[in-house]
Amino acid sequence: MTIELFSQLLLNGLSIGLIYVLVASGLILLLGVVRIFNFAHGEFYMLGAFITFGCCEFLHLNFFVSIAIAIVLVTILSLFCYRFIFHYIRGDILLCTAASIGLSMMLLRGALLSFGTQERGLHPPFKGSVGIGQVNLPAEKVMAILLCIGVMFGLYWLLMRTKVGKAMRAVKLDNEVASLQGINTTRIYQIAFAAGCALAALAGGIMAPVFSITPSMGHSLLLNCFMALVVGGMQSMLGGVVGGLVVGLVLSFGMYFVGDLSEILLFAVIGVIIVFKPGGLFGEPEHHE
Amino acid sequence: MNRGSRKKGIIALGCACLILALLPFFTDSRYFMHLIIMTCINIMLGLSFSMLFSAGLVTMGAAGFWGIGAYTSALLVLKAGLSFWVAMPLAALATACVAFIVGLVIIRAPGVAFIIQTMIVNMILVQVFGHFEFFGGWAGLLDIPAPNPIGPITFTGKTANYYLILMLLLVNILAFYALYTSRIGRAWSAIRLNARLAETLSVDLFRYRLVAFIISSAGAGLAGSFYAHYFQTLEPNMFNVFKSIYIQIYSILGGLNFYIPGPVIGAAIITFVPELLRIGKEIEPILTGAVLILLVIFLPGGILSLPDRLGFFTKEPLAASSGKNSVQEQQEKRVL
Repeated sequence: MTIELFSQLLLNGLSIGLIYVLVASGLILLLGVVRIFNFAHGEFYMLGAFITFGCCEFLHLNFFVSIAIAIVLVTILSLFCYRFIFHYIRGDILLCTAASIGLSMMLLRGALLSFGTQERGLHPPFKGSVGIGQVNLPAEKVMAILLCIGVMFGLYWLLMRTKVGKAMRAVKLDNEVASLQGINTTRIYQIAFAAGCALAALAGGIMAPVFSITPSMGHSLLLNCFMALVVGGMQSMLGGVVGGLVVGLVLSFGMYFVGDLSEILLFAVIGVIIVFKPGGLFGEPEHHE
Repeated sequence: MNRGSRKKGIIALGCACLILALLPFFTDSRYFMHLIIMTCINIMLGLSFSMLFSAGLVTMGAAGFWGIGAYTSALLVLKAGLSFWVAMPLAALATACVAFIVGLVIIRAPGVAFIIQTMIVNMILVQVFGHFEFFGGWAGLLDIPAPNPIGPITFTGKTANYYLILMLLLVNILAFYALYTSRIGRAWSAIRLNARLAETLSVDLFRYRLVAFIISSAGAGLAGSFYAHYFQTLEPNMFNVFKSIYIQIYSILGGLNFYIPGPVIGAAIITFVPELLRIGKEIEPILTGAVLILLVIFLPGGILSLPDRLGFFTKEPLAASSGKNSVQEQQEKRVL
């Protein structure tokens, strides 16, 4: 295998893996802080991609401005969803899961009816390629990777260094004790829900020039993110990062070496991991639910 | 469960059986009979979901095990040339074996991890059915023969198939009812109420959950075997995660705490109402989603909890307690 090919596969795996990392981090944030296992996350990702596409193509806005608009709109939508659906059933993880399935069905079918099934593609905002040594890499993928890494560091800073992040971690540990300490848990739930959905919208915006945009793009992505959660574990962000990268790299290298069987290869990897670590690489299994 | 409610349950079951048994004499619409047959299959799938729920597990992979039953039965008949009546129990057995192996791996991580892992198992099964030519590939299996005739009875029309699925459903309901009232069923409800406490009372969580997983999967496999020979074509995407989500909705709609009547009511509504209202396939998921959200917010106990909520059948209406408390109260009294 040449260094050229290897770096291409690595780049593909990293760019798709980092998208999984973004979406999976949002899922872990929702699961840990708000106790919602959000099936509608893929639809927020899809909406982010569509809004970015619309702003770029029809309003002729700058790519980054379009992503910002997409994040703001999806955040507003997610806050509405939180206020009118999840606010009433918070704490009960099964009911929240069921409600998010209903939300996902509505958003997916609504998008199918309004956007149709044809595939759309956004012109890459950066043309040409980046040369590192004798290897040429497409610029939009390098940009996607750099953006994702930047966002993950931003998220780390938010959770670890700011007051809001501290409050989120406190609510995750025990929401009753946290509210005794004067933390407004409802506000923290809203912030965490909006942040998780904003991450999904951001991922959709970043991926808009790389992949084709269809209403069902979120659904297939979400299933891969679930696999990332199983690989990495659901308790910590680190699990999401490692899981997302593993899934992305296995899919990318598997697609080249074994073709269509790459998904089955991924399932085999997951099977081996959960046989030895039932809760994922960086998680403990919850023994009592 | 007191004697009165058991008596009521038996009367309800008898009446329902009588009405359903006489149904073909009142209608000759093939479309209506098809809907009824599909309802019966969906009820069997919903019962399988509810059985796992009674042991405190939420599955998103019921459709995958349904598919195993369907494919096993179809392949045994098509490739090995067995009779349907031999293939059907073998299909249920094969599903149970797969569930045993899968369960050994995934039941160790209950909770949210179990939801995701059952979903992944379902996706693996769809991929396996689609990828390998042995299973017919993505185009699916075609021309699966109808069940072999017994004497003068042939299973080519709707009516004979209807009586067959009705028998299967009845056997399924009675077997599950017997399990719920047995020692195993009591262990399951103990696990669901408080797993930690149940474990201190030396209830083996892993073993009882594995039993629930195997038996519920065998029920789904039985439904799959009938479905393969009734529908006569199989395609991998019939058994994808969307179907599993619908199966979950049957149980939630009817009422999660009503292990047997819940899926019956829920599956009947989800199968019939969109067809009767002539709602197009395009907007049906939007309405189903909206109903699911409204139900979860306003009536988390399902449709069957409505009489309880309104205070029928109880001496005094339930105090206007918060949602959490009433859910717990309902968990403590299992109906039927």
